[in-house]
Amino acid sequence: MSVVNYGTREITCKIVYYGPGRSGKTTNLQHIYSQLPEERKGKMVSLATDTDRTLFFDFLPLDLGTISGFATRFQLYTVPGQVYYAATRKLVLQGVDGVVFVADSQSRQLAENIESLQDLHANLADEGLDPRTLPLVMQYNKRDLPAGEISSIEDLDETLNFRDMPYYSGTAINGGGVFETLRSVASLVLSRLSAPAAKES
Amino acid sequence: MAKEPKKEGESGEESGEFADFMADISQEIAQRVESLDAKPKAPPPEAKKTPIAPDAGLIGEWPNIADRMIEEMR
Repeated sequence: MSVVNYGTREITCKIVYYGPGRSGKTTNLQHIYSQLPEERKGKMVSLATDTDRTLFFDFLPLDLGTISGFATRFQLYTVPGQVYYAATRKLVLQGVDGVVFVADSQSRQLAENIESLQDLHANLADEGLDPRTLPLVMQYNKRDLPAGEISSIEDLDETLNFRDMPYYSGTAINGGGVFETLRSVASLVLSRLSAPAAKES
Repeated sequence: MAKEPKKEGESGEESGEFADFMADISQEIAQRVESLDAKPKAPPPEAKKTPIAPDAGLIGEWPNIADRMIEEMR
């Protein structure tokens, strides 16, 4: 997906929230949606199962208006975290400009975090995207859970963040760290505007 | 099935979090666009110069090898 289109004066960024099931990806989008002023509120679409888990994906179009002469839109997606929706995750990743990896801080979820991160890297590679250069931000979510149930930020970072990506602690359920994370990934994506390959006319 | 998410803290006013986000992003985009617009255009490719051998001190006086050949044929 092109990030900036000089012909139509548009900037469009596709950001995907990735991570294991129940890590809080949809909750991130719901918080962002809840904070949008009415005039900017598009429709957030969630496709969920009867058990309320994301079935296909969530989609939140974020129309930021005209900035510096460019109509700016962020498209936020989540993927279904459950292992058996591999094909959907691959589909949602197509044309991605940046990724937020939402990790579940619970100690018992560490293996799921690792598996999901490996899945992300494999799917990016399948898309011809280099996981080492794609804008990626980590969010260690559920920091509000009792200390005995969660891994320390340091441990999570050492295990999951081998690329030394920006990371944030999150309590998405009450909005903690949600906008910081979004701002960080958006900034990384926008910093690539200067890349010649991203400039179209 | 499609469903609308819960609208927590719903209000018609621009929230602080979103306003901060917008301010940062607007600034970031303005800087990027400015830097892209300000980038000097690539200079036109220079005309190929005749390579100058280190021991051929005079060759630099001819703009190209064709001139030198013509000169030497005279």
